[in-house]
Amino acid sequence: MRILLKNGRILDPSQDLDAIGCVLMEDDQIEYVGVDQDFDDLDEIFDCTGLWITPGLVDPHVHLREPGGEHKETIVSGTQAAAAGGFTTICCMPNTNPPLDNPSLIDFIIDKASSPESGGVFVAPVGALTVGLKGEQIADLAAMKRAGIVAASDEEFPIQNAHTMRRAMEYCVQLDIPVLAHCDDADLSAGGAMNEGATSAVLGLKGIPRSAEEVMVMRNCLLSLHTGCRLHVMRISTWGGVEMVRQAKYLGAPVTCEVCPQHFVFTEEAIGEFDTNYKMLPPLRTQVDIDIIKQALQDGTIDCIASDHSPHASHEVQAPFDLAPFGQAGLESVVGVTLTYIVHAGILTPLEAIRKLSTKPAQIFRLDAGTLKPGETPVAQITIIDPDVEWTFDVNRTFTKGKNSPFHGMALKGKAVVTFSGSEIYRDQLFDSGRVKSVF
Amino acid sequence: MKNLLGIRHLEPAQIEELLWLGGDFKQRLKQGKPIDAVKKVVGMLFFEDSTRTRVSFEQAAYYLGMKSTNFSFAGSSMNKGETLKDTILTLRYERLDALVMRHRYSGSPGLAAQFFGGPVINAGDGRHEHPTQALADALTIIEKKGQLDGITVAIVGDVEHSRVARSNAWLLSKMGATIRFVGPRTLLPAHAGLLPGQLYFDLEDGIKDADVVMALRLQSERMTRGIGSSVNEYARMYGITRERLRWAAPDCILMHPGPMNRGVEVDDSAADGEQSVINAQVENGIYVRMAALHWAFLDESPKPAPKKSKKAVAK
Repeated sequence: MRILLKNGRILDPSQDLDAIGCVLMEDDQIEYVGVDQDFDDLDEIFDCTGLWITPGLVDPHVHLREPGGEHKETIVSGTQAAAAGGFTTICCMPNTNPPLDNPSLIDFIIDKASSPESGGVFVAPVGALTVGLKGEQIADLAAMKRAGIVAASDEEFPIQNAHTMRRAMEYCVQLDIPVLAHCDDADLSAGGAMNEGATSAVLGLKGIPRSAEEVMVMRNCLLSLHTGCRLHVMRISTWGGVEMVRQAKYLGAPVTCEVCPQHFVFTEEAIGEFDTNYKMLPPLRTQVDIDIIKQALQDGTIDCIASDHSPHASHEVQAPFDLAPFGQAGLESVVGVTLTYIVHAGILTPLEAIRKLSTKPAQIFRLDAGTLKPGETPVAQITIIDPDVEWTFDVNRTFTKGKNSPFHGMALKGKAVVTFSGSEIYRDQLFDSGRVKSVF
Repeated sequence: MKNLLGIRHLEPAQIEELLWLGGDFKQRLKQGKPIDAVKKVVGMLFFEDSTRTRVSFEQAAYYLGMKSTNFSFAGSSMNKGETLKDTILTLRYERLDALVMRHRYSGSPGLAAQFFGGPVINAGDGRHEHPTQALADALTIIEKKGQLDGITVAIVGDVEHSRVARSNAWLLSKMGATIRFVGPRTLLPAHAGLLPGQLYFDLEDGIKDADVVMALRLQSERMTRGIGSSVNEYARMYGITRERLRWAAPDCILMHPGPMNRGVEVDDSAADGEQSVINAQVENGIYVRMAALHWAFLDESPKPAPKKSKKAVAK
């Protein structure tokens, strides 16, 4: 089987490549990347004129919910959503029920993800940093690393005790895995449902102050500096938090940072009259935060864009605001939203955007992904993106079981249209079928 | 049919209409004039404990000839894991015509209104709004002061956690009053920019020349959770006494939404003094709740409020 993707704009940040050319796949491997040329014995030719050919996208922050939350998402539905979103590798979070705090659960995730009915993407599990996500005893991370975890995190239950966090980070230095930190001081944020600000004062909702994030970013950055532990700050939302990361990088701490699309698109005012589709963790902030986040995307303080895909069942979302769960099902909107609000808005070049959606997260988690170089990934991982297609994001036409999204109904420009992971795992109906020629 | 979920989204004309209706019902009841019966069934959903508001709504329904049916949280299926949405849908198909709803979570009546299909009246939701309390207070102020336009109202105490403060601030400011929020920094909203009032941290400054002083209930359990100093210190700094009312305008009235902590936010000399209108607030609560129940079933397009409505209010 030989497939040629020809005359596309090849964007491969791993080789700083932004040029018109072609990619040849032989069986499940990339054979050639370069200027367009003719090949013999082709089975299929994809005409990629006007389209981008990028390394398969990498999402460092996905909640697959299985085990324990199968009414929200399963590994099957979540990986299908990932493929449809243009991703070929995703990191799944450990806050399941039971939490991913032992090797047998890691085996379970990897087995399930590689089953034929799943979406065909690579799932890189993140293990719990402490047993039961309780912030007390460090989990058996060495055994979990052998089973396949790529990082450790207590996710939505971040370790509050600084001493425990320090020890856990020291241990992760020894294991050479990064710690993913949702930065939240649980005492400052306790009971909060949205950003503490003028809107929460009007709605009478308890606020989550920005300081709850900022003090924890600062603490974790300092612990990273002093332990040498690689720290990945998850879903940053405040300008103060961004400044802490900037400072930590300046000091030489091994810190990286991600942002989620909702935090560069919406402000707290989007909640309107208690619309629970806008209930996020961390909460939607203000325009100043959005401005600083965009600047930090440009200057590299923020390394990657993550979906924080957090699917929930409808009945959970249709609840009083205080009771509704946090988060949004983002795998299938992140490319469209990023292109619309970041690339087409001139914040990032296409190459830099793909770096933050693929190459950089692959480097942070040391994944064999995020590149089009032949032989560098276990199988060919390629995403074809139509940067100019205009479409409307509709939660009723997604693969994820979670229909909770603040982007529902939004007009977007740009979409991942074909995804390859060894073989073709997704082809969007927006992709013009006339572009594919079968050749005999 | 209309919902009454809060004051913030009401037009001044709608507020005037509700107040006029409340005054009209008061006059009719006092003079023994007939009141058109509202042949409807209203569900009283008190997910959070309430005595005065529930009794007030029941009295209002009784005077309107409505049937009210009670829903108590303890015996309900909400305790069996039913979602609020399913509870509301059930009540809808039990053929209830309207809901009066008290809930501990802000915004819940709005959620109920999405699924109920008939009018929903907010009887207090979290820290968000308590519109009928604000209407009762406005009617009381009009009776004592003749108007709302141009007066200065000082709301003293735990504004951050108070739905009464929010609804009153919206209502009175929309009708032309100047609002001051007075209290310790820890009990006033940290970000009050979108609320229609100015912050004062000193009681004397805050109630200086005020026409109305409205003391809010201090929930002492909040103070022990690190939000403030002792209740005694609060009382020393912000407790309303007869002496301190002299800082306000000479004919200032004292209000309190109840239930009162005597000796904390108000002392006996003030609460029982001639400036206190606290009992009038309670009674007017019934008339404005009659107005709200009646208004909820009126057509969507509001009738233009009758001219000179303020003078139509019973004295």
